[in-house]
Amino acid sequence: MASSSSDQTFDVASLVEDYSLYRISQYVLVVLFIGFFLAPLETGLMTAFKTNRAVAETIPLMPPLAEGFTLDNMTFALDALSGAFFNSLFMAIPATIGSVLFGSMAAYGLTMVDWRGQLGVLVLFLVGIFLPYQAVLVPLARFWNNIFPLASMVEPIFVALPILQSYHANLVPLIITHIAYGIPICTILFRSYYQGLPTSYVEAAKIDGASITKIYRRIILPISKPMFGVVFIYQFTQIYNEFLFAFTLITGSDTPEAVVTLILPAVGASTSGVDFGIRMSAAFLAALPTLIIYVAFAEQFAKGLKTDA
Amino acid sequence: MGTTDTTESTKPRTEEVGWETKVRYFLNNDLVRSSPYWGIPFLLMGIAVYGGIGFNTAISLTDARGLGAPDYSLSNLDFEMYTQALGSSAFLSAAQNNLVLLIVFTTICLLLGLFLAILLDQGIRYNNTVQTIYLLPMALSFVITAQVWLWIYNYDFGLMNIITRAVGIGPVDWIGNPSIALGSVIFALIWQFSGYTMVVYLAGLRSLPDDQFEAAHVDGASTLKTYIRIIIPQMKEASVSAAVVLMVFALKAFTFLYALTGRYRPPNGTDILATLMVRQAFKLGKWAYSAAIATYLLILALGVIAPYLYYQYRQGSL
Amino acid sequence: MTKRFGDTTAVEDLSLDIPDSEFLVLVGPSGCGKSTTLRCIAGLESPTEGSIYIGGEHMNYRVPQNRDIAMVFQDYALYPHMTVRENIRFGLEEESGYTSEERDARVEEIADLLGISSMLDRNPDELSGGQQQRVALGRAIVRDPEVFLMDEPLSNLDAELRAQMRTELQQLQNRFDVTTVYVTHNQTEAMTMSDRIAVLNKGKLQQVGEPLELYHAPENRFVAGFIGEPSMNFVEGRHRNGTFTSEFFEYPFDSGIRDDVGDTSDVVLGVRPEDIDLKRLPEGGSSGLADHEFRMTVSVVEPHGDRNVVHLRHPEDASESETIHALTPGTTVVDAGTDVVVSVDPDTVHVFDAATGEALHNRRLESEVEVHNV
Repeated sequence: MASSSSDQTFDVASLVEDYSLYRISQYVLVVLFIGFFLAPLETGLMTAFKTNRAVAETIPLMPPLAEGFTLDNMTFALDALSGAFFNSLFMAIPATIGSVLFGSMAAYGLTMVDWRGQLGVLVLFLVGIFLPYQAVLVPLARFWNNIFPLASMVEPIFVALPILQSYHANLVPLIITHIAYGIPICTILFRSYYQGLPTSYVEAAKIDGASITKIYRRIILPISKPMFGVVFIYQFTQIYNEFLFAFTLITGSDTPEAVVTLILPAVGASTSGVDFGIRMSAAFLAALPTLIIYVAFAEQFAKGLKTDA
Repeated sequence: MGTTDTTESTKPRTEEVGWETKVRYFLNNDLVRSSPYWGIPFLLMGIAVYGGIGFNTAISLTDARGLGAPDYSLSNLDFEMYTQALGSSAFLSAAQNNLVLLIVFTTICLLLGLFLAILLDQGIRYNNTVQTIYLLPMALSFVITAQVWLWIYNYDFGLMNIITRAVGIGPVDWIGNPSIALGSVIFALIWQFSGYTMVVYLAGLRSLPDDQFEAAHVDGASTLKTYIRIIIPQMKEASVSAAVVLMVFALKAFTFLYALTGRYRPPNGTDILATLMVRQAFKLGKWAYSAAIATYLLILALGVIAPYLYYQYRQGSL
Repeated sequence: MTKRFGDTTAVEDLSLDIPDSEFLVLVGPSGCGKSTTLRCIAGLESPTEGSIYIGGEHMNYRVPQNRDIAMVFQDYALYPHMTVRENIRFGLEEESGYTSEERDARVEEIADLLGISSMLDRNPDELSGGQQQRVALGRAIVRDPEVFLMDEPLSNLDAELRAQMRTELQQLQNRFDVTTVYVTHNQTEAMTMSDRIAVLNKGKLQQVGEPLELYHAPENRFVAGFIGEPSMNFVEGRHRNGTFTSEFFEYPFDSGIRDDVGDTSDVVLGVRPEDIDLKRLPEGGSSGLADHEFRMTVSVVEPHGDRNVVHLRHPEDASESETIHALTPGTTVVDAGTDVVVSVDPDTVHVFDAATGEALHNRRLESEVEVHNV
């Protein structure tokens, strides 16, 4: 908006020169920063397709050339991560659905009625967003391991289910944990949306005799479809990328139920150091689901971040 | 002239309403009817967050370590772990690192984000695509970006040392040198987060009416001056909310540091409270001690959030 | 009925009886408590004190859906994700005694009545403001309620459409013969549509009555000033020995007024702009003026075509503190800056108590002469 209005002076000739110089320097900056943000990712991606020799001998930014090119790293990484991929999705999808639904419900309950303690409840939700999870890690571990060993309780069910293995039961506490700690952010995201809706929607429906449940199901849910998109994408990315809870609740990166983020720091490591070809392949594969979602729904993702702030 | 026929006397006759009606009305009112909607999520969240905090505080007052269950008997509860932490050099140096991380990371992220936002607000073509690229690192897990930066900082073949060799400085041990490591980590985190601050500032810039800019131009102010004098002062709200998010992140950042080494101990010189706490708990089994560190972390985070929430409340934007 | 929000009293001690099939308009400036009153009747708010009856039944402890009411909202509250048909049908779904086919038929019937049959399968955002308004009405009518509540339903329409919808609303109300409570801040809507008007100010009921009653016999200064466009002129002054004196004017009261005013000394004189006559200044200057005539200077003339609004000030009143508005027919032209003779017939004068605002004397009406049926 700045530059569009700056061409209103009279000395056109010098201005055009100044202007285009100014313009060019802007674009140079834009491109430089594109380089800044993409170069690390690009070196990673290029390295993923290089043989060990090429990794050592070529500049990381350069693409792999003829004999330096290999898919071995990728296949190795895919093999190492395939089980973890399933675990991650098996964990992240229900956890996302759960926290998004609960968040929407809570926001609906908190915006449609007007009562005194509401602000207090809201503040409690807000603090929940910013909570450093370290403050609940020790209790979490004690709760799921000693007090309420849900994983071993549901294990028989998982044995009986197709596709799933008994060790997938260990992901159930993690799912519930993600739902519980995801509720605050989802609630606030939905609340900011619901507050923008006219109150008359709900009031008109109340006068028409619709119950609270009917208003939610028939009016609020359909109207908030776009917001569901935003929150779902945001929350899925968060949960899929999350590490600390998984790290606390799942015993190690070598267990069969480990999720992608848990395994990744160990892939391609050996006594002789890190094999970066393999590590970068694994990192790329691990990033792929969120990358796809991000590229497809960049706008929703940005919107989620904005509302968050 | 006036119509005064009445269909019904309007004297209040509340006494005719039985308690059953009142109970039914109460059960029908919005607060009660909507309570399952906010109540169930609230309960779940409340147990997880506040139950967790309470439990954590309880553990921190005991001497629990190793495999045994914590002993909650009253005689056993004290603040020993808290004083012990304050007296420990590991804790103090972690706190110091944390403070450096918090200040440097937050400041540079805000400045860079503001710069990028202004840059993209100049009517750049493919504006949205550029924004998507700048924000891309934010969509990735810290585990993933840590691997990427580990490679970039690699002593022998990493991009950074190729650059330093080219300019004649010679290789630098970005992660291994304790006096540089924290800087390297902060740089990587800025790379990941400045897209986020940019988005927040862009939203703020776009919410300003265009005519402010035009008015300043008519008054003869230069673009730079307009930004410094008129636009940036109005970015206060965006700055505050972005700063809170960044600072709270700086306090709890654990994943990136862990993922650099894949071990409980992050690179030398980068140990912060979050990593110290997790290490004390899950490597050494010092439950009570780590719970006390976690409480300190929580208090620090609350010290950031509480003024912010109060500010928001005063602004009427809660 | 009283409604408080925390420390602020939105509606204070309001008592209203609304006969069956009456069209009652609640009117007042914004923040006067009219919407709160409506929302209490609807059951969207509950009164802090007092009771609400509909059809003789106590309503305080009933949720909105059990009150047999329908409400039209200012923003229409049409659900954007439903078609017009679904919007109208939504209110019918909770009504018992209909089969599914009957519900569909009823929707068609109402749509037909309102002239929106052709739009039934469109979405609300494809409709014009007037059409949306009709859908909102249809949603209220379809349930055949005992009471219609309308919260400024015409305020989002442009002037022309508003006038048209005003007539349509009246016809609908006549046709269904449903008790209607209509909230507006627009006194023209109140005057033209209502059977009776209730004027509210600062949470208090000022007066209830038929439109002309409020116009000719306002009970206090607020009602006098609120009803009528342009609004009544007020001149503050003192009354002593049958003569009213303000800073610039002297106005002798005749015996009828004197009896009503009694010995109240601080009073406000009220005259409607349409009751002020203007005459050309006679040759002899101000000397030949009668008791109820004044010499005044025209400061501004606002032509409206059919009529002119003339702003008048006393020649010595430089600050224009006692500016008076007068209405002249559109064909009577006055120039700004000229001096004219202003006459005010004592029959048309209102007198208010300056302290309480209460009307001490209202204009005399020989109702057979001035207000009569055509």
